[in-house]
Amino acid sequence: MMRQLKLPFYLAFQYIRRGRKWTLFLTIFLMTAAFVNLIFLPSLFNGIIDGANKQIINTLTGDIYITPNNGQDYINNVSYVLDQLRTIDGVDALSAKMSVPANLKYNNITLSRQILAINPNDEKNVSNISQKMISGSYLSSGDRDQIIIGKQIAGGNGVEENAISFKGAKVGDKVTLILNGKPRQFNIKGIFDTKFVQSDERAFITNEALQKIMPSANNKATTINIRINQDTNQNAVINSINQKNINGTVYKWQEAAGVMKSVSNSFLSINIILSFTSVLIAAVTIIIIIYVTIINKRKEIGILRAIGIKPYIIVFSYVILSAVYATAGIIIGTILFFAIIMPYFQIHPFVLPICNAVLVLGWSDYIIRLEAIIWVSIFAGFIPAVIVTRTKMLNAILGK
Amino acid sequence: MKPDENCIIRTEGISRVYSSGGVSVKAIDNISFEVMHGDFIMITGRNGSGKSTLLHQLALLDLPDVGEIFIEGEKTTHLSEKKRMDFRLNRLGYIFQEYALIAELTALENVMLPAMMLESSKVAKKRAKVMLTKIGLHNKFNRLPSQLSGGEQQKVAIARALINHPKIIFADEPTANLDTTASVDVLEIFKSLNDKEGITIVMITHEPEELVYANRIIQLSDGKII
Repeated sequence: MMRQLKLPFYLAFQYIRRGRKWTLFLTIFLMTAAFVNLIFLPSLFNGIIDGANKQIINTLTGDIYITPNNGQDYINNVSYVLDQLRTIDGVDALSAKMSVPANLKYNNITLSRQILAINPNDEKNVSNISQKMISGSYLSSGDRDQIIIGKQIAGGNGVEENAISFKGAKVGDKVTLILNGKPRQFNIKGIFDTKFVQSDERAFITNEALQKIMPSANNKATTINIRINQDTNQNAVINSINQKNINGTVYKWQEAAGVMKSVSNSFLSINIILSFTSVLIAAVTIIIIIYVTIINKRKEIGILRAIGIKPYIIVFSYVILSAVYATAGIIIGTILFFAIIMPYFQIHPFVLPICNAVLVLGWSDYIIRLEAIIWVSIFAGFIPAVIVTRTKMLNAILGK
Repeated sequence: MKPDENCIIRTEGISRVYSSGGVSVKAIDNISFEVMHGDFIMITGRNGSGKSTLLHQLALLDLPDVGEIFIEGEKTTHLSEKKRMDFRLNRLGYIFQEYALIAELTALENVMLPAMMLESSKVAKKRAKVMLTKIGLHNKFNRLPSQLSGGEQQKVAIARALINHPKIIFADEPTANLDTTASVDVLEIFKSLNDKEGITIVMITHEPEELVYANRIIQLSDGKII
């Protein structure tokens, strides 16, 4: 029995070694295409979800954020709260923000927007706004009459929300900030573009600038954003914060995902459906390839049976052949994907209103799809081989 | 009637009907005969006389609709496909008209194949080399079928049929695609196997000049022995 089990490997090896090279090349090419197709779509969806999540963390919330308790407008005594938070293990950086609704006026255009007062140095450590300046520069401590605005406020050609923007405000232009009916002029110091529309609809000034207009804002915040160490457990930090009995409510960044949560969930559902469809397409492709290969070898299979080679050996040899095709497709597809396709989209990402999406493939997604292709190919080799070995031997040999 | 102990194949009233386009054709009709150990039998007859159908039944590649076939006294018509396959592997050798070699395997590998079902590949290889040498292909071990002449391919097919030491060789017009020299070579191999090793040979031929090699001739016409 063990001796006979070597025979299918022997036959499969010789088919590959001495079969038509072009057929082999095309079969492996199709397997490669099927596998790349199978991993490309989930990677794209993962990339969009991952990109959107990073945008939320990097531009809006940090890893954890604290808001005033219900019924309160502010987190009071912020400097004390920040000192308390800095003592917690795993907290890397903190930024307290004061968000105020205000009107921004530029030429004859007035927009109602949330203005965020920040400590520029703290914010630099929590968000990536400072790295997303497309014009001018980021705020400095002590800036009293400088404002940085998002691309969606500045507007201009090609801007998504140009119709409800300043339609082309530039660095150095003056804008008037009207807060509680009091106007104050600011210079546009910089314009940032995070590629996340929700984030680019905001404007930032320094805490000092806000306190000049609204002295009551001193040592208060509407949000504290927290960056934690990547190796630290989010829940553990939240527990530690809660133990400090600070005057605020602690949230994970995920709870601020809002509409992105629905988008992510929809993408996950689409991903599952498309993955299923891709597996189905891959299965049909592989079955057709193997079926055509086996049908072309129908006579040969009949001869093998006639000289006493048992059908299970013949079937097994084609299962091995399919598995080898699939493995070659997986190996080449993996090299193509990780060495060419992924780096290409790293340099040329998909530009979306929520993020610039790159391809992200988790190991579990990769392994699941790899297993799917292997199983499908085994099935695809097995079924046609069984069908052909069950046809009448003489019909197979005589080509009837 | 008590069967002759020297009888290696015995058929009792075998018939085979094929249906084609709703029409039934009796390919062989109530055929009974015996083949003795060491016989060299030539089956002859016109196209459509039932020669190949009869050989397929005898070699257990097909089953008769009616009648019985005994090989070495064993009734074969009731055997399962698996047992018939074992029978073919261990006791019978079959040579096709068009050589029927596996295109991806060399001469040596083609010959080894049936032996690999029973022996280790090392032993199978050794035996295949001996067999190919015996039929004059000692320098063609590693040639693919496409690199061999028709006569050489048929010799490889003969070596493959002989590898598991069968007692009976069936050959379906083995010289039909060969030139005269190659045909004589093949027939001489059969003659030698029959004379020196006592292998029973049942062969189909269209060529009257080949009939001299046989010790018995079965002439078929319209599915019956005449």
